[in-house]
Amino acid sequence: MEAKALTKRYGQTIALESVDFQVQEGITGLLGPNGAGKSTAIKLFLGLLRPTSGSAEVLGERPYESLEVRARLGYMPEHDCLPTATTASEFLTHMVQVSGIPPSQARTRSADILRHVGLEEERYRPIGQYSTGMKQRVKLAQSLAHDPVVVLLDEPTAGLDPSGREEMLRLIRRTGHEFGISIILSSHLMGDVESTCDRIIVLEGGHVTEEGAVAQFTRETETLLIDVDGNREELITALANRGINAVIDGVSLAVQLENEEQYDAIRDSLVETGARLRRLSPRRHQLTDIFRNPQR
Amino acid sequence: MTQPEGQLFDLGYQHYDGPREGRMRARKAVFADGFKTTLGLGRGASAKILPMLLFAAAMAPAVVLALIASLTDGLLDVPGHSIYYQIVSIVLLIFAAIIAPELLCPDRRNGVISLYLVRPLSITDYLAARWLAFFAITLLLVYSGQIVLLAGLILSAADPMEYMQDNWLDIPRILAAGFLLAAFITTLPLAVSAFTDRRAIATVVVIGLFIISAASAGILTSCDENHNRSRSERCEPLTGDAAKWFVLIDVGGVPTSVNRMIFNAEDDGQRAQLTAELPRIVPIGWYVILTGGLAFTLWWRYQRITV
Repeated sequence: MEAKALTKRYGQTIALESVDFQVQEGITGLLGPNGAGKSTAIKLFLGLLRPTSGSAEVLGERPYESLEVRARLGYMPEHDCLPTATTASEFLTHMVQVSGIPPSQARTRSADILRHVGLEEERYRPIGQYSTGMKQRVKLAQSLAHDPVVVLLDEPTAGLDPSGREEMLRLIRRTGHEFGISIILSSHLMGDVESTCDRIIVLEGGHVTEEGAVAQFTRETETLLIDVDGNREELITALANRGINAVIDGVSLAVQLENEEQYDAIRDSLVETGARLRRLSPRRHQLTDIFRNPQR
Repeated sequence: MTQPEGQLFDLGYQHYDGPREGRMRARKAVFADGFKTTLGLGRGASAKILPMLLFAAAMAPAVVLALIASLTDGLLDVPGHSIYYQIVSIVLLIFAAIIAPELLCPDRRNGVISLYLVRPLSITDYLAARWLAFFAITLLLVYSGQIVLLAGLILSAADPMEYMQDNWLDIPRILAAGFLLAAFITTLPLAVSAFTDRRAIATVVVIGLFIISAASAGILTSCDENHNRSRSERCEPLTGDAAKWFVLIDVGGVPTSVNRMIFNAEDDGQRAQLTAELPRIVPIGWYVILTGGLAFTLWWRYQRITV
């Protein structure tokens, strides 16, 4: 998937302005605040909108010009998109056929994909009787059932409880890494993106502001975090006596690392104060830092 | 003890290497789904009751007319194909008002439309497939009734062969009038359904439209009681010469006027007589404008749908 000088205007409002980026294999996170242009970009790649100028290409074709390429795209919208009276099996079989697959193969694909998302047992129940988590899995299943090359997921964990959210992210990771289907994941939940995506593209005000591997944005910093059970004040004093300035950072103590010898001083301070060590690790950058400090 | 002869393996995700039939398969799938939805197939028993009742109601006049013809051995002048279409059009209007919105409203209400639009299917394909699904069933319904009636009339005739030779023109007339009736009855409720995602509202609007337009036309073409006339003379409408134009207000009467013209049938009714005073092109033109306009409205409305 490739955006070339992609611009979309709604009257005087600019949603995307001369944006260039490429989506590679694996899982790509599309990040950005509300109004950044994420939804517009997704709709352009799905062929639901036509660009004002430039192009949005998938597999070398433009989905807003070629209907056929849409057979190789999957889409899981954020909003409700499921019928209530139909069973998951029936609904999926129908949607697979609408993607161009003949009825006999559609039934097999539908059964297979419902098994992959863990809905094998419930597939003959009307979707209206499903929990939110099950509905999200049906939404994911319909986006995958026709074996697309690329799937665009819009806020796939919306409305899910923590266990449902983890389960959904696990399915997305499997889809991206085991099934070999490229994924674009649009989410405002940095944790979801950080734990799931290989790469990110950050949009702000209709422009790409950051792009690259997630690891690049979550690399280690020069700050060391120390978590202890009790004697925290004594530890701060002991560290200060050894020339180390430790500041309270939430439940941790943060120390700015200057040299390797400081590790010995920290060890000696812990022994001296009897503070029980729970964690000693370098702080990592987080994706949220992108928005806290755009000039980073 | 028997030894295990086989083992089960989870092969994991399998890519699809079979045929991909693209847009045509997508159209067929939406058509088939519309067909099943209309008949309540693949859903609970309650979804099937209404289509079955309406089907029975549409067939009943044909069966009754055919029975009368056969029991009286053709001695009684049984109302023919034109009258059957006039009778059945009322049943069909109710059928269409209740069931046709089911083809469009839930897709927008549930958001399923957004999934259709990202597949190899244009919005025009989607609408055409839905329209054709309902049109096919309506056509099936009107033709079935006419076939029953035709069979009854042929078999009750003293000389069936002679009856067929004398009345062979009825067949193309049945086909043409049925086609136009089904096209109108399909297009109107679907066009109304494009403006609301609530089925019940679409049904009420369509039925309301028929009642109000029929009542308005009735009032505007009603007789002037102060005008003296003999029993055989057609009454003078309240609105005078303009009355024949006011007949066109009756939405339900649009396909039946064309039907009467196709069968060249005479009707003693006040509105039928007024319609007959209009140039023949007017009822036909009005039918084309109304049906075409409704079809365009449906298409235009869906072009503006955002997902």
